[in-house]
Amino acid sequence: MDTLKVRDAQEVEDAVRAAIANEQPIEIVGHGSKRTVGQPMATNAVLELSALNAVTAYEPNELIITVQAGAPLADVLSLIDSKNQHFAFEPMDTAALLGTAPGAGTVAGMIGAGLAGPRRIKAGGARDHLLGANAVSGFGESFKAGGKVVKNVTGYDLCKLLAGSWGTLAVMTEVTLKVTPRPESERTLVLRGLGDVAANKAMTAALGSPYDVTGAAHLPGSALRTTAGALAEIAQPDQSLTLLRLEGITSSASHRAQSLRTALKSFGDAELIEDDASAALWRGVRDVEPFAASGPRALWPVWRIVCPPAAGGALGEQLSRESGGEVIYDWGGGLIWAALPPAADGHAKALRQRVEKIAGHASLIRGSDAVRAAIDVFHPQPAGLAALGSRVKRSFDPSNILNRGRMSRGSAT
Amino acid sequence: MTILMPEPDQSVLARRDEIIAALRKIVPGEGVISSDAEMKPYESDGLMAYRQPPMVVVLPSTTKQVSEVLRYCHQNGIKVVPRGSGTSLSGGALPLADGVLLGLGKFKRIREIDFDNRAVVVEPGVTNLAISQAVDHAGFYYAPDPSSQIACSIGGNIAENSGGVHCLKYGMTTNNVLGCEIVLMTGEILKIGGKAAECAGYDLMGVITGSEGLLGVITEVTVRILRKPETARALMIGFTSVEAAGQCVADVISAGIIPGGMEMMDKPAIHAAEAFVHAGYPLDVEALLIIELDGPQVEVDELIGRVEAIALGCGSTTCQISTSEQQRLLFWSGRKAAFPAVGRISPDYLCMDGTIPRAQLPLVLRRMNEMSEKYGLRVANVFHAGDGNLHPLILYDANKPGEQDAAEAFGADILKLCVEVGGVLTGEHGVGIEKRDLMPEMFSDIDLNQQQRLKCAFDSEGLLNPGKVFPTLHRCAELGRMHVHKGQLPFPDIPRF
Ligand SMILES: Cc1cc2nc3c(=O)[nH]c(=O)nc-3n(C[C@H](O)[C@H](O)[C@H](O)COP(=O)(O)OP(=O)(O)OC[C@H]3O[C@@H](n4cnc5c(N)ncnc54)[C@H](O)[C@@H]3O)c2cc1C
Repeated sequence: MDTLKVRDAQEVEDAVRAAIANEQPIEIVGHGSKRTVGQPMATNAVLELSALNAVTAYEPNELIITVQAGAPLADVLSLIDSKNQHFAFEPMDTAALLGTAPGAGTVAGMIGAGLAGPRRIKAGGARDHLLGANAVSGFGESFKAGGKVVKNVTGYDLCKLLAGSWGTLAVMTEVTLKVTPRPESERTLVLRGLGDVAANKAMTAALGSPYDVTGAAHLPGSALRTTAGALAEIAQPDQSLTLLRLEGITSSASHRAQSLRTALKSFGDAELIEDDASAALWRGVRDVEPFAASGPRALWPVWRIVCPPAAGGALGEQLSRESGGEVIYDWGGGLIWAALPPAADGHAKALRQRVEKIAGHASLIRGSDAVRAAIDVFHPQPAGLAALGSRVKRSFDPSNILNRGRMSRGSAT
Repeated sequence: MTILMPEPDQSVLARRDEIIAALRKIVPGEGVISSDAEMKPYESDGLMAYRQPPMVVVLPSTTKQVSEVLRYCHQNGIKVVPRGSGTSLSGGALPLADGVLLGLGKFKRIREIDFDNRAVVVEPGVTNLAISQAVDHAGFYYAPDPSSQIACSIGGNIAENSGGVHCLKYGMTTNNVLGCEIVLMTGEILKIGGKAAECAGYDLMGVITGSEGLLGVITEVTVRILRKPETARALMIGFTSVEAAGQCVADVISAGIIPGGMEMMDKPAIHAAEAFVHAGYPLDVEALLIIELDGPQVEVDELIGRVEAIALGCGSTTCQISTSEQQRLLFWSGRKAAFPAVGRISPDYLCMDGTIPRAQLPLVLRRMNEMSEKYGLRVANVFHAGDGNLHPLILYDANKPGEQDAAEAFGADILKLCVEVGGVLTGEHGVGIEKRDLMPEMFSDIDLNQQQRLKCAFDSEGLLNPGKVFPTLHRCAELGRMHVHKGQLPFPDIPRF
């Protein structure tokens, strides 16, 4: 494995041009914290961006921050935290789930992966917060997308494509992100002992209420059995937890928590958890701690299923029953993390049959090399969409130089 | 007309009768309009200084018809311009002399309301406001609220990625749509996304939103709906300088408050609006802020107090706080009617739409005043102050020789200034034809080529809405060519892998 560590955008352009000229596909890496996600790539050359790590400009009053692609996410988070701001989409830290070094991960890696946390139901995902980018395409050209202001419709919104493209369209060298004020307080209501379908109903009721719920998660008792951390501390043996979060100024968060508690009476008597203790619970949900690579399910493949939220409970219950696996729910049921017992295809076929029935899609986020080579890691699309997707890929990277084969099996050659 | 459109294809025009006959076979009856008189209403959109009768107007009512019309046009090399309600302020729906104008006005059905998944599935011709009205009884609404919401269509909103006064807090169209059905120029029908929060694969929904009718024709949309906030109250705050008002906006945001709406008007806009709707605006101030807080009563009451204190600290001279829904709406009435109000004091006006970093506001206003003197034209300003989106309204009289050209040159100077201070050409109205030739101010050839390559992935012949957004048209083959050659490494020192 050959690694080229670039120091600036010009070197990225040079390297991509050289790669094109030599017909040498390259793998694009920040800290490498998510290298095990996706189809195994057809390349042995690595372009590493971690040295592009400067904060170019941070303007709290304009609600924007511009950083180089390889800036460490953890550092950027603490920088904006010092001004009481955050990335509202609550990017997940994949370290626990993937078993990589804690704290690793770059800003562009987070954008490329597009893995938003619990607050996605209210604030949107990475795609909603990427305002602008400089990037090098597979033509070996540096181009600019978007702008450096919070509101902009000039030209096509190429940023949307870059977010969640797993480095297959262009190498981002600098990104501008929207930052927003961090809520003053948070409150979490905890309901205990609900089944998956009932919990899904409770979350649907909460999200349809005027109380502005910013997190709605459900963790079945069996999934919690082997967890450590904040979630484990409040869990009772074999009893599920349903968590509902309210955020904002203190008076408002408390008031809404009380109102929601009353509104959900028929689902049980909710307990209230405040501020830091509440935040710890949501970190656990965000980072999928129950399925941590350090835990007993280390060898189980983990799927990320996105589906219409009100259909999540029934789907998850069926999946865990049929496969003997475990699931946890976020986004009010719209996001299901499923850890299933080891199987040659990671249960891809059976799982996707179920998921497609309710118009959802599933990606394998953790899986052995063998499983990832054997199946479609990202949800296969209908022919017309898949063809359009490849035309889009070619419009950025005609010789398939960047992260070749990572997002679709067909494109490995 | 100072903006050149693509040269009409004479061979297409020569076949007009044959083409109309073929289109009538696909869309029977009154769905094909070809007489000059009946085509008149379609000659222009909200950018009324530009007019062009299309070759023919087609008003399909099913996705199948849209698909067949597009396939026929694709096979016959005929250009197509999609149109929703025709309220675009950038000329996005301006017809082409040799093109089909494809109106989506008959797609008026709300197909499904799904409260459990907080989603509504609608046809593209449904108006923005009609969506909110359809879910109002259950306490829900669709958040993006362009001032044109009684007329503009959701299909047009997607195409323009429209905003509104509430988008600082609730996002633009792109942040509130989940999926769509789109017909490509070849006639191929694709379903993208749905009721799930994210679509699989590349975020095609994200790039279709804001693509100004150049990538495909939208025939169905799934939007996200929200519960209405429990209550909303507004403050109307006057300042003796625009700088002080600008400082107040910055201080509100740095206090961690994102209001539901935060709008600013300058003196000419205040006077025009007050004369029109009598909202009780103070006439002796240089700038007026309308700040709306929404949410639960306790929160709104507390934040109103905080914002009032911030305003005082910035030297506000008047501050009224709404105590009833009626009063809140009264505060807004002047702002919401600002465009027509300015229309009353001037025979014509041009509405600009740049965005700037908010800190640059005093500088930009000063330079705009200088330009106003240079061009001898008045300007009134309304802003979405929270997100730095300016709407300077340039007043002119098209009947006076040279004034329209001067107004357009003035407008172009304003937009160049926006880019110069770190902003962008358009915050919500789109590029269309209006800002097309200014695109190089913001983007290099390489940037624009990359955008046009994407266009090629959707429409390889460039038949859908050509002449909009991009100042220069290129053939896809030319754009797709790779300029790096094997053996000629531009940078031989780079280590070989
Ligand atoms: C008085 C007034 C106030 C306004 N206020 C605001 C405001 O506050 N915020 C704001 O953002 N805008 C505002 N606008 C601009 C305008 O209303 C929006 O851009 C609106 O989204 C256009 O919708 P439409 O249905 O009228 O589209 P049209 O004008 O018909 O078309 C606009 C563009 O969309 C394309 N298009 C339309 N339908 C489709 C479809 N189904 N598929 C593919 N492409 C399609 C057209 O080709 C064209 O490029 C205002 C306009 C006016 C006249």
